[in-house]
Amino acid sequence: MIRKIADRLFKWYCNPEYYPDIQGDLEELYSDHLEQNKKLAGLKYLADVILLFRPALIRPLFKNSIINSAMFRNYLKISIRNLQRHKVYTAINVIGLAIGLAGFLLINEYVNFEKSYDSFHHDADQTFRVGNLATSNGTIEVKDAMASYLAGKVLQDEIPEITNHTVTRKLDRMILRNAGSTYIEKGGVSADIRFFDFFNYKVLQGDVEHFFDDPHAVVLTQSKAKSYFGDANTVGQTIEMLTPNKVTLKVTGLIEDIPANTHYPFDILVSDGIMKSRDDYENWSYNNYYVYVKVQEGSDLTVLNEKLHQASLKQFGEETTEFMDIFPLTDIYLKSDYSYEPHIMGSQKAVTFLTIISIFILVIAWVNYVNLSTARAVDRAKEVGLRKVVGAIKAQLIGQFLFESFFINALGAIVALFLAQMALPYFNILVGKELVVDVWNYWPFLRALLIFTVAGTIISGVYPSLILSSFQPVTVLKGKFRNSKQGVYLRKGLVVLQFTASLVLIASTFTVYRQVQFMKGTDKGINTDHVLSLTVPRASTPEERKTFRTTINSFKDELRSNPNILVVGGTSNLPGGGHDDINATTDELKVIGKSDFLEGTTFMQWNDDYFMEAVGMQLVAGRNFDREMASDSAAIIPNQSFLRRHGITDDAEAVGLQVRWGQHEKARKYNIVGVVKDWNRTSLKTKVEPTIYMPWMTPRSLAIKLKPDNYKETIKFIDSKWSEFYPNVPLTYSFLDERFDTLYREDEKFGNVFAVFSTFAILVAMLGLFGLASFLSIQRTKEVGIRKVLGAEISQIVVIFFKDFIWLLGIAAIIGIPLIYFSMDQWLNNYAYRIDFPWALAVLSLFIVVAFALGTVGYQIYKVAVISPSRTLKYE
Amino acid sequence: MKKYQLGEFEEIVLLTVGVLFDEAYGVAVKEEIEKRLNRKVSVGALQSALRRMEKKGYLSSRVGETNEKRGGKPKRFFNITALGKEALEYSKDIRTELWDSIPSVALDLKIV
Repeated sequence: MIRKIADRLFKWYCNPEYYPDIQGDLEELYSDHLEQNKKLAGLKYLADVILLFRPALIRPLFKNSIINSAMFRNYLKISIRNLQRHKVYTAINVIGLAIGLAGFLLINEYVNFEKSYDSFHHDADQTFRVGNLATSNGTIEVKDAMASYLAGKVLQDEIPEITNHTVTRKLDRMILRNAGSTYIEKGGVSADIRFFDFFNYKVLQGDVEHFFDDPHAVVLTQSKAKSYFGDANTVGQTIEMLTPNKVTLKVTGLIEDIPANTHYPFDILVSDGIMKSRDDYENWSYNNYYVYVKVQEGSDLTVLNEKLHQASLKQFGEETTEFMDIFPLTDIYLKSDYSYEPHIMGSQKAVTFLTIISIFILVIAWVNYVNLSTARAVDRAKEVGLRKVVGAIKAQLIGQFLFESFFINALGAIVALFLAQMALPYFNILVGKELVVDVWNYWPFLRALLIFTVAGTIISGVYPSLILSSFQPVTVLKGKFRNSKQGVYLRKGLVVLQFTASLVLIASTFTVYRQVQFMKGTDKGINTDHVLSLTVPRASTPEERKTFRTTINSFKDELRSNPNILVVGGTSNLPGGGHDDINATTDELKVIGKSDFLEGTTFMQWNDDYFMEAVGMQLVAGRNFDREMASDSAAIIPNQSFLRRHGITDDAEAVGLQVRWGQHEKARKYNIVGVVKDWNRTSLKTKVEPTIYMPWMTPRSLAIKLKPDNYKETIKFIDSKWSEFYPNVPLTYSFLDERFDTLYREDEKFGNVFAVFSTFAILVAMLGLFGLASFLSIQRTKEVGIRKVLGAEISQIVVIFFKDFIWLLGIAAIIGIPLIYFSMDQWLNNYAYRIDFPWALAVLSLFIVVAFALGTVGYQIYKVAVISPSRTLKYE
Repeated sequence: MKKYQLGEFEEIVLLTVGVLFDEAYGVAVKEEIEKRLNRKVSVGALQSALRRMEKKGYLSSRVGETNEKRGGKPKRFFNITALGKEALEYSKDIRTELWDSIPSVALDLKIV
């Protein structure tokens, strides 16, 4: 039995030439062994078979030896000679493939990074975040990423599938003090004892079970710890907290720096206990916390969301317009459509667009290879004919041309590796992320490079090798060779594909830029020139609370005393913040006598009486707040959007009307004293919301209008006054127009990435066209000669050649322009304020493609057309 | 040394083929080596050495008779070629030369 299996194995791998006699030897030995020990004979046979597996004895890898090493060397030699002879062709292919591969792989790296967010947590696919939906007449109006403190606990009690929960809040601005220095920390979050059940960051020091036993415990990441304590032992140290609470924090743990690919980054974890003094702690009424829950494996999400719906009804009452829902952790970064996200979100659309561009680049490079090698078929036809005559079979020729394709692809890959390495620092800047430090020793990159080199060989090599290997020796050696009709059509089709891709990319780049320009340039409805903004620290002790008002008022007065400071206004929310940097209420409001109670979110901002002037808000009716009038405590100024929603079209008519807030009996009434023109407080992605402005004379944020001259001096003055009034905290300020500009940074980044890679794609396409035109014109050298003899002008000849390409460009335009229209129009729909689809730019893009294409083709034809016919027709 | 590539084991096999003159087929060579050198030789090691040397031209082979004991498979007999002989002589010369070059003191050295 063993002998039979062993023999079969041996027969399988052994060189057939050697098999009979070696097997004979084995048989002979076996029968000898059989006499000595029956049982062991079979095993010995097997052992011998295994030991016979040696390079000298095994079957050659390929039957009929399509690839035998001598031929292989010949292929290599022929390939190298061909590549050397046609240097331009080689360069175009190699450079094209290199740019294509490098671009594709770098983008791929970025896309993978974007998709990797939060997937490293254990049970990431069972972790969800609780959100809050505010509905209006049954449709969802606002999706809030935050929930109330109690949501997690209640949901875990109510719904059996939910097995665990954790609650955390972002502490946007903490002021800490250690060893005499004050730090403003923006990366703090609160955490309860279950935090590490969800986010399993690596603990370096301390006991994770008891991290937050002390209500004043704090856990630092490695780099934070280093900036506070240097290399000293971290656990057991203390840090003074000034804001939000005035307490002494005790460091109980040290964790590794958290990776960049999480939607909830932080560098300081403060015990949940510190939040106890807040109103929203263990309270249902405030949605200020991020609540994460873990669900049982295999739970049905729709069933679960239905249970959440029931739980919401139970919790908030049957009449509620507010519902809890859950959203998968790993989808948050790219797919969340919730407001109040903790950090800058990624964009699924950008990822998709980039993936498409990267595929375009690579395909364009492959198309170059296909086009150039089939166009060059004539050059190789005689070689193929001769090889066939001396006995090559088709499979061998296919092998040869595939080998050549592999050779070029591999050269391209090597150059691509260099290119990618050189481009990496710029690429990292371009996408604003440190993705990889070196591609050399980054295994996923190298693996992808290898895979796509092989894939490229097959995709770009198969068709040319089939074409080239199918020539009939009789026809090609007789000299009657012509390219096949189908081949020409395919080539033209591929050229159309390249033109279309180039056209789409150019037009899309223009559109993205135009939209960003539009958003930056559009009148926001306020004047942000030379308006400086700053926020004074929160009062954290009872004494500070007592003096807060007087301090801020005298600070403002001091500032006003400087003639270079024109206005000092105060507000709760500075313009130019994120789209969720605003207050909102879902209470039902009505304008008495004009509208019924309306469901839906109303946005609120508290300003003092100078703010309107400081930022140049325009009053269209009525008056501003007046701090002298006692009745103004119940005054409000709505914007036009608010009035329109409540059915008031005449702004002046609204002044004097009252707004009732909430359905209950004791609901307060507010007097409309004025109306402001709609203005954009944030990026133009969002529409102007229905907003009401309410009076508050001492808000913490200030908008300070400066005189343009010597504004640097004025800032110095502000800084000196600041240190008089707020000595504990360093001054941080920004200009309002800068704040607005940062809102568009992501869009600009997207535009830049798009522009860079579009340029590369077009470069590769034009390179290919350059090569193709060169071959086609050389092939028609004699035709050009004859035409010239018969009296054609150079310009006429050029036009004849152009005709072919004009056709192709026309088809590309017919396919490309609708494609651009539908994709870019959809993209523009992301923006509440968008440009109309820029037809002029689409036409301009077409013009650019045509100009580049005809320029390239024209250059090649011109080169042929100027040759004297006496030279081109010498041999006829 | 580049001229004749001959490994230690190859040399033994080549010599044994010579010893067995005209009767040198796989099993015979194996048994001869095992008997004379008192060491185990696997079929794999032997056969790969034989085929390698055949490729190098040190050995020639012919297919011989079949018999029942071999499951109807033929024997393959190996013979040393002229080149094989040269290689052996070269190898032997090298050794002799080396032996002769050893100063007599080196071999008479005793551990004190």
